[in-house]
Formats: sequence, structure tokens, C-alpha cells
Amino acid sequence: MIKITNLSKSYNKGLVKAVDDLTLHVKPGEIFGFLGPNGAGKTTTIKMMVGLLTPDQGSISIAGIDILKNPVEAKQNIGYVPDNPDVYERLTGMEYLNFMADVYKVPAKERKERISNLLDMFNLTHAVGDLIKSYSHGMKQKIVLTGALLHNPAVWILDEPMVGLDPKSSHLLKEFMRKHCDQGNTVFFSTHVLEVAERLCDRIGIINNGKLIAMGTMDELRHRDQAHSLENIFLELTEI
Amino acid sequence: MKTFMSLLKITLNVHFGISALKYRFTKEKKRLWEPILIILSIIIGGGAILTLYSLLLLGVFMGGQTIGHPEIVLTFAFMATQLLVLIFGIFYIMSAFYFSNDLNILIPLPLKPAEVLGVKFIIILISEYLVALPMLLPAFIIYGIGTWADIFYWLKGLILVLMSPVFPLVIAAIFAILLMRFVNIRKSKDLMVVVGSLLGLFAGLGINILTQSLPQGNEEEFIKNLIMSNTGLIEAIGNRFPPSIWATLALSSSGWQGLGYFLLFVGFSIVLLAILLWLGNAFFYKGYLSGEEIRGKAKALSAEDVEKGASKASSPVIALFKREWKLFMRTPIYVMNGLAGMIMVPFFIILPFATKSEDMEVVTSLAKDPKYALIALFVSLGLMLFASSMNLISCTSISREGRTFWISKIIPASPRDQILAKLLHSSCLSLVALIIIALPLYFLLGILLYRLIIIVFIGFLVNVLINIVGLIVDLLRPKLEWNDPQEAIKQNLNAFLAMIISLIIMLIIGGVSILLLIKGVSEFFIYGILTLIVIVLLVPSYYGLLALANKKYNSLEI
Repeated sequence: MIKITNLSKSYNKGLVKAVDDLTLHVKPGEIFGFLGPNGAGKTTTIKMMVGLLTPDQGSISIAGIDILKNPVEAKQNIGYVPDNPDVYERLTGMEYLNFMADVYKVPAKERKERISNLLDMFNLTHAVGDLIKSYSHGMKQKIVLTGALLHNPAVWILDEPMVGLDPKSSHLLKEFMRKHCDQGNTVFFSTHVLEVAERLCDRIGIINNGKLIAMGTMDELRHRDQAHSLENIFLELTEI
Repeated sequence: MKTFMSLLKITLNVHFGISALKYRFTKEKKRLWEPILIILSIIIGGGAILTLYSLLLLGVFMGGQTIGHPEIVLTFAFMATQLLVLIFGIFYIMSAFYFSNDLNILIPLPLKPAEVLGVKFIIILISEYLVALPMLLPAFIIYGIGTWADIFYWLKGLILVLMSPVFPLVIAAIFAILLMRFVNIRKSKDLMVVVGSLLGLFAGLGINILTQSLPQGNEEEFIKNLIMSNTGLIEAIGNRFPPSIWATLALSSSGWQGLGYFLLFVGFSIVLLAILLWLGNAFFYKGYLSGEEIRGKAKALSAEDVEKGASKASSPVIALFKREWKLFMRTPIYVMNGLAGMIMVPFFIILPFATKSEDMEVVTSLAKDPKYALIALFVSLGLMLFASSMNLISCTSISREGRTFWISKIIPASPRDQILAKLLHSSCLSLVALIIIALPLYFLLGILLYRLIIIVFIGFLVNVLINIVGLIVDLLRPKLEWNDPQEAIKQNLNAFLAMIISLIIMLIIGGVSILLLIKGVSEFFIYGILTLIVIVLLVPSYYGLLALANKKYNSLEI
């Protein structure tokens, strides 16, 4: 479902290698957790996956479509939530959702149902008539999440999705992610919360200094490093 | 004192972007020509205005000399500067004290309110020097040289010039602090923007009327008369606003008297500053926080409302257009700068005529004379086009998206659709503006309706071209990093660049029109040629825009 091949990206005219020859595949039905210390290259990788950054080298295909060659078609299959919810502050929540539904070409009937369900789930129905300007950080995060999932994309790409969410919303989102993958779809998300990754992910990738240093199921990682918890594995691997 | 200095240092750095500039020059090394261009245009533009202003001051000085009061030039300059600082200071102070983002970081720090306030005050003071120094220094130099002043004059003057914005700024700050403590206007930041912009427009209008009322040819004589008849007036204002008189006397009197007034001026400023800091400690945070506590009451939507709101679907281009329209119309600073400017320009030009009815009669009777009707028509077209070149809508279209530009990058809408929606949006607003400009021309000059429709049509085509150029400029160098919407539209070099290109387009259209009119070519032939020229320019620029959009929407990184 997600196929990243030999992906590289550097900043400051090649001086800083943010992502270095990264290759990874995520299969349908999989929740993939993307871990790494601050500045390891997680967000840079995600931004390249959704078309926000152009790679220096390599290719990315989402649901079989190359994002560099056919960006519009590839984006139709992605639901993306950034780590910082900068949204149109002077639109109401509803106007924003309608805008997203329009550009993702969600038919009127379907959008009605999905908007109601998602707003209900995130407990946003009461606020959706207000300008986004008046929302709290968590509410903004939730409206972006709702907008990203409206078109029922096959691939969810979420950058630190739990940050800012209240425990209930965070719990519901995790359940929602599981359900989505059980239907044969894919979730790719970055996180710093190792417990969440350990419990939720089918496979985990750890990135450090732009390089993928470990990848596999929890069992594979445990076996490899003779460690019991993901925390220990993480600390050992990233300690350079 | 140490914390104060370090706070001052960091705030200066942030406010004037010193580290950011350093980074850009030493690390990123991109667009190094830009600051040079800005400085050059400031020198050229500012130099011209400064020369004119200095000539005016010289006139005032010489006029004053003939009636034995050469020092009137000092009073005039001090008074004008301090009034200007006072009026605009209120808005600067309000925005720096109460609407700036850094207060959320500063308030939790172990600093006294007076320290934070003091630092903010100094920052504004430094910004005000940009206005105050060019206004005061010429008068100071003219009087100094004109009266062969001694060394004490120059020493005292330098300090007075540097201190001159303190007094009006303190008054503005005290006013702002007391107002914010007792009246909560933090919620209506948008309203402030509108009031501020209108004030600016009226100031512009006032200056315009004033310069229009200067008789041509014998300005010097006029200024002399003006001073003779207004000495009383200046003194009267001076009495209400004594510091400008003190500053004048401090400089024009010699010996102890001069020194006395000098000390009076400096001491008064310092005492007021102390009062401000004391008030700041008592009221500054309270006023700020009382605004923070009030939140807009949520307008709860029922499940049915949600269903109703969600039922409409539109095509991506229409959805993008609607987004563009709403975000623009709901941000007052965009409307005031993008649209109001365009509509106000013709009024600025027409108003002076309207105030002098005999001129107006001559113009209208000429316009109605069939012999000159065509000339009047093309002058009207020129006016429309000039106003359109003030259009900031398209050339800031991508910049205005700012940090939300990521949404445009991830949605499955082609760059073509996105840029078309922007072109549609700016061209719609251009058409609205054109019609608003056309109406008074129609009634004032009695232009025949069919001709008016034709020039609105040609004007619209030119506007589409200008909008395309604006979008190309903004695509090439969008300003996506900003914290306040005003940075996207007012502090954006794209506006300036697009305006220059628009002026070149207008020169071409204007030049061709004049040439054809002189040659006596028939009316419809002129329309035809103009339309043809615009279309010939329009087609390649349109396709160029689409190609560029395709490239840039993919390569722009955020």
C-alpha cells in the first residue's frame, strides 16, 4: 500500500541529510508506527509522502500510484494530519469540512453521514458552527483529523496524531485506526509514545539521523535486541 | 537592569529579524538582491519626498524670516512630528502592547510588567524614529545653517530630536493602558484595523486636498501668506501642545533661557515616562489578562443543522474559489488594503475637482463636448487602469495562505484548478472595483453608456492580465512565513514588484491609445487594437501561469 524506495532528502544545500536512502513497504491492513528521536527525519519523510516536500532522490508510491508522477491521483488516496494544526482560522468548522469534502469530491449523501459520524465521535458537533479561530489546540487537531478522513482514504498518514487529544478522543482514534486497517486499509503514523506504538502497531520502523535502523513486528524487534520493552529497544538503538 | 537589557536585546533581535537576516545571508544565501532592491527603492522614493518636504521647510523658514520669526520652522516641524507620532503611536502601542503574540511567553516569566512595557516602548520608539528623524532633521539643519547657530544649538538639538517622539508616545501609551483597563476592545482587533486604515485614508485625503489647494507657480508667495495669516494659529496649537514651543525656545533662545527650556522639555519627558512605567506596573497585565478571559460564546449547532450544512456539494474550483473569497472578505486588513485602496484612488483624484466647482464645470463641459468626448473616455480608462494597478489581491494570493499552504499542497486539486480559482477570485473583485469606479465617471462626465461598457470590458481584460502577472510574481516568490496577516499583504515586496509590472502594461496601453488618438484613428478601430494587444499579451501569460503553477505547486516546500 505504501512503497518508499531509496528516499533521500537533504537541507542547506546538501549539508544536513534529513533522510538518507530510506526504503520501506507497508502492506494493506497494517498499522505502521514510525519512531525516532527529535530531528531524526520522521516529519521530513511524512512530508515527502504527502507531497509537501520534494525528495532529492527515490520514489514513493501510495496505493500503487507514484506521488511524484501523479500527485493528484495519489493524494486522493491519502488522509493526512500534520503535527501542527494550522488551519483556516477564519472559516467555521463546517465550512472547512465542506471545503475538504468538495476538493476530495465526496458525494453529498456520503459526506452528510460521514461528517455527522466523525463530529459525533470527536464531540465537535456543538462547535462546528464557530470560527476555527475560537477552537482550542485539541479541537483544531480534531477538525483537521475529521477533514482528513472525510473521503475515507485507503491510506492514513498521521504525524503525531495523539498529541493534544483528550484521553477519550485519543482512545477512539486508536480504535478507529484498528477498524480502518481491519478493512484492508493502511495507517502510517509517527509517535513518541512508545506504549501506544507497542500496543497498536503491527509493525514498527525506527529512524535515526535519517536512516532506518530497525524495522519489524514487536516480536522481531525483541528477538533481535534481546530486550523486552520497546523503550529499551529504542534507547539502545538510538544511543549513538 | 540585567534582565531588562537581555529582554531588550532579544526583543530587538526578534522585532527587526536580525538573526533571521544573518541566517539568510550566511547560511541560506538566497535572494540576496532583495534587500538591495528594497533599500534602493526606499532611497529613491524617500529621497524624492524628503527633497520636496525640505523645500517646503525652506519656504517656511524664509517666510518666517521676513516676519522676524525664523524659528517658526522649528515649531512647525516639532509640532507636525509630535502630532503624527501621537496619532499613529496609539495604534502601534495598542498592537504591540495588547495584540502581539509574544506576551503569552513574556507574562509567565519573572519580569516586572514595567520591564516588559519599557522594552516594548523602546521598540516602538525606535520604529518611530523612521518617521520622526526625516521630519525633524531637515528643519533642524535648515534653521541651524540659516541662523549660523553655535555648537550648543547642535548639541541641544540632537538630544531634542531624539527625545521628541517620547512625549507623544507616552501620552498615547497612557491613553492605551487606561482604555484597555476599563474598556475591553481586545475582542475587536478587526475593528481596530478598520479604524486605523480609515484614519490613514483620511490622512492621505487631507494631504491630497492640501497639496491640490496650493496655487501653482508661486508656492513661495503662498507659503509666506500662509505663515503670515497662520502665525496665530501655530501659536494657538503650540499653546495647547506646549512641548513643541519649549523645543523651539530651547533651540532659538541663547544662554540660560535656552538651557532652561531644554531642561524643561527633557525633564517633562522623563517624568512622563516614569508615570507610564508606574501605570504599567499597576495596570498593564490586568488590562491584557481581562481581555484574555473573555471568549466568544459558542453557537451550538444541532445534529439537523450539521446535516443541513453538509448537504451541499460543489466542484473543486468552486470550492477553492469560495475558500478564497471567504478568507479574504473575513480578514479586514486584506479588504482594507486589497480592495479599499483600489476603490479609493479615483475618489482621491476626483475629490479635489469636486471641491472646486469651477474646475469641475470646465472638465464636465469639455467631456460632454463631442470633440473631446473620446479624450475624456480614454482618460477615464486610464483612471480605471491606474486604480487597478493598486490591486494587491492577486500578487499576495499565495502569500496570504501562509502556514495553511500545506492544505493546498495535500489536497487532490490540480495546480491548474487552484490557480484558476485564485484568478477567478481576483478578477471578480477587479470587476466589482471597475464598476464602482465607472459609475461616478458615468454621472460626472456623461460618458455614453455603450462607450462605458466597452471601456469597462477593455479595463477588465487588462485587469485579468494584471492579475495573471500578480499571480506569477507571487508564485515565483511567495511569502509564506508570517505571524500576522498584515505581513502577508503590507510587508510583501511582491505587491511592489507586481505594481511596477502593472504600470509598464498601463504605459503600453496608454501609449498606444494616445498615439492612435493623435493619428485620428476611428473610435472602434482603437477599441479593436487595444483589445487585440491585451489578448496577445493575455494568452501567453495565461499559459505561462498554468505551466508555472504546475511546477511551483509541486516544488514549493513548507
